[in-house]
Amino acid sequence: MSGGGHTRRLDELRQVDNGSFGGKSSTLGELIAGGIPVPPGFAVSTSAFSAFVDEAGLAGKVANELARVSPADVESVGAASHAISEAMRFAPVPDAVRDEVAQRYAELGEPPVAVRSSALGEDSQDATFAGQQETYLWVRGVDHVCDAVRDCWVSLFSSPAIAYRARLGAGDEPAMGVAVQLMVDAKVSGVLFTCNPVSGDPSMVAVNASWGLGLAVVGGEVTPDDYLVSKVTREVVREHIHAKDVEYVPDAGGRGAVRVEVPEQRREVPCLDAAELDALVDVAGRIERYFGSHQDVEWAIARGGELPSSLFVVQSRPVTAMRRPAGTPAATSAMALVMNAFGVGERKS
Amino acid sequence: MAAPSAVGSFPSPYEIETPPGAEGWEEMYPYYARFDEERREADEQRFWFWNSMHFPVPMPAFDAICVDSPYQAIGNWQNRVFAVPPAMGIDWRCINGYIYISGNPVLDPAKIGERAEYFQKRAGYYYENWDELYGKWRVKMDALIVELGELKVPELGEYEPDAVAFEDEETSYCAVIQAYRHALRLLDLMWQHHFEFLLLGYGAYMTFAELCKANLPDIPDQHIAQMVAGLDVLLFRPDQELRRLAHLAIDTGVDGAFVEGRSPDEIEAELSESDAGRAWLAELESVKDPWFHMATGDGLYHTYGSWLDDPRIPYASLIGHIGALNAGTDIERPADHIAETRQKLATDYAALLNDDARKGFEELLALSRTVFPYVEEHKFICDYWFLTEWWNKIREFGDLFVAHGFFADRDDIFQLTRLEVYEALDELALTWATGGPARGPKYWPPIIARRQEILERLGEWTPPPAVGVVPEEMLDPALIMLWGVTTQRVHAWAREQEGGSVLTGAAASPGIVEGPARVVKTVGDISDVREGEILVCSITSPAWAPIFSKIRAAVTDIGGVMSHAAIVCREYALPAVVGTGRATSAIKTGQMIRVDGTAGTVTILE
Repeated sequence: MSGGGHTRRLDELRQVDNGSFGGKSSTLGELIAGGIPVPPGFAVSTSAFSAFVDEAGLAGKVANELARVSPADVESVGAASHAISEAMRFAPVPDAVRDEVAQRYAELGEPPVAVRSSALGEDSQDATFAGQQETYLWVRGVDHVCDAVRDCWVSLFSSPAIAYRARLGAGDEPAMGVAVQLMVDAKVSGVLFTCNPVSGDPSMVAVNASWGLGLAVVGGEVTPDDYLVSKVTREVVREHIHAKDVEYVPDAGGRGAVRVEVPEQRREVPCLDAAELDALVDVAGRIERYFGSHQDVEWAIARGGELPSSLFVVQSRPVTAMRRPAGTPAATSAMALVMNAFGVGERKS
Repeated sequence: MAAPSAVGSFPSPYEIETPPGAEGWEEMYPYYARFDEERREADEQRFWFWNSMHFPVPMPAFDAICVDSPYQAIGNWQNRVFAVPPAMGIDWRCINGYIYISGNPVLDPAKIGERAEYFQKRAGYYYENWDELYGKWRVKMDALIVELGELKVPELGEYEPDAVAFEDEETSYCAVIQAYRHALRLLDLMWQHHFEFLLLGYGAYMTFAELCKANLPDIPDQHIAQMVAGLDVLLFRPDQELRRLAHLAIDTGVDGAFVEGRSPDEIEAELSESDAGRAWLAELESVKDPWFHMATGDGLYHTYGSWLDDPRIPYASLIGHIGALNAGTDIERPADHIAETRQKLATDYAALLNDDARKGFEELLALSRTVFPYVEEHKFICDYWFLTEWWNKIREFGDLFVAHGFFADRDDIFQLTRLEVYEALDELALTWATGGPARGPKYWPPIIARRQEILERLGEWTPPPAVGVVPEEMLDPALIMLWGVTTQRVHAWAREQEGGSVLTGAAASPGIVEGPARVVKTVGDISDVREGEILVCSITSPAWAPIFSKIRAAVTDIGGVMSHAAIVCREYALPAVVGTGRATSAIKTGQMIRVDGTAGTVTILE
């Protein structure tokens, strides 16, 4: 079904929808189109955010508050953030939006979901908007989904986000999309790069992994297990297993994720086995080929499932900071290189 | 100790003491092989490392010819023929019977530039005409081996043969001395040929490896080696023949004779009792030439004979193969798999490179594959086949001395230097001609006995991996290419001088295993190796390949990822760490150790 225009299924989105649904949602749509396993879900358009601001009559307030901000003045930023956030937090989500979200959520089967902000320009090569990366995990029930959507919108006006935009001169009409996805109850999750970002080696997949939901790795709360795997032979070329002290698991109360200590006997156990690494390298190759560039990918492996269907990709973006390998001087013949090894010409060290 | 540095230190070569009971070892070696006072200022400021790859045990006096002759040859090719721009030849010195080597750098930029012109012209010619030149090389070496085989050591009988009296033939005493000169010359020629292609061969390979690492910084060394390694390697033929013989023994029902612990004589005695056994022995006989010219060690000592001289190695291998086959294990060299992997690695890595890098990659891989057969084959032809035959030729002179009462045993000849042998031959020729009393029979035996005793004492001593200063950087292409002595390796040795239970080396073949260590210092220890042990040695040679079906991993003191241990371990899919610098001194037989062939570490667990 097509809905009222404020939402769309993730698999209906492509990169061109970045302007209306934000980077995260449109990239998830691309991944699905590329045959990558992505948890199903839907996206909320920036139009929903506009409707929200309009219906609450907050447009003027937002503009006024932002106009008073001076990027260098921390207090002015904090004051604006506080004023806007407080106003938005108690404003209702428009009925039209709520109805669409409710219908989409019902189509998913009303499962626990992850609600993530999808900022415009986010996930693009060069803009990562600080403070706009809100994620709400294990959200259940349409009321809570709508609350989480609103919380994502509010996060657009956090102090760091306001300051960042002000410094960038990024316009006066910030907008935000939201992605709502089936929650993966991750046994283990983490990040992978389709190259080794440290050395720049394109033949390697670098994997960071830790127990539970991805928050712990992304948030830097644990030192994850660290693997370097050859794309060519699938050998683990290097691995460092660390003590993984904490993990995020679904709250036993049924909502949200909680941080718990990892039981002693599991802390220093490698959290990925050979088959799981193999599946990750496989999906890394497919994502790299689909986008034609090196990608930084968030993934999760579902508890109780079986590979490959238990592996999900929840986000992908181009690798921005990659070291370039020393490489080979262009147009150098093999013989010139051999001569150089014997000290003919300038020695490259 | 040398001045302390941030990267550790090595002892001064002048501070090393002679082990008790080995006093006077210096007389076994040339005067120029010592760390003498005259050159102290210069020698103390150089970096010298123990060449345990080629000289794992103390050198008998005669065997030192296999230090001089190769270093004359390598210096000549590197410095005087090709004129490698930054490096002349390699010097050697002897400490307590162990051989230390050091490169001679060229530091003057103008000189380097001048040499570069020679190098480009001459090395370029070799690379461009490699196949043709290598073809000629094979012919030269074949001829040299034939010439060695045909070299006669005349007997000195009661009377000269009639031919001397009636046909103007050369007198026997002149012919004996000439035969000795001839034998020495053949050795020099062999070493000359040996080094003609070696440096250029390794150089192309190293350049390919560097290109790989510049573009694919994390590529495992073994992948680079696997892409280059030959498919039909001469060195694997002898073991291939043994596998065939193992199958034959089982197929013809004579495998029961191959019992662990039996000597070759006992096995052959049982085989000769049946028709099937005799047929098997006949088949064995037919493969001996040339495949049993495999050496039982790395060839540079007279004690390393060939399989012909010491059949314990091939028989140990046969017992292993037959046991494995009867246990249902596949012992074939997975040739198809090796070929497939080689191609897949090359294709997949090429696809990951940008256009410029791919062009260099493909050209250098092709060049490496062109030159590598030499690197793989010269070992069998020169070091094993020629050299084991050559030691036996020298033994014929030993027989002559035994016949005339100079020595008690033919191998006593190896306790004399090559010049002393000359001197003794002169005396033998003289006293045989004159009929007068010879001093030799009284003069040499106590010297021989004393030197045997000294070698025993020196063998119990463990040399440091290096002496002199720790170099900031290793720049000598030959030392890096042939010995794997890179800057990182040297610095790791220096740090490890303080000891510790973790040894680092080059990750030569991936995988992690734990097991009891078997430290093998001489070829005689090889038959002690038992199923499931981890081989710890200075350097293995392909001649030891048979025992690789028994062991779980290998660790060496010296060698790079293209060293023989590394190649064989990859063939057998065993973890290997090579170039640890001190495994044979740090690890004791029976100790539990963990070998991590992926990370390049060896941990002593107890």
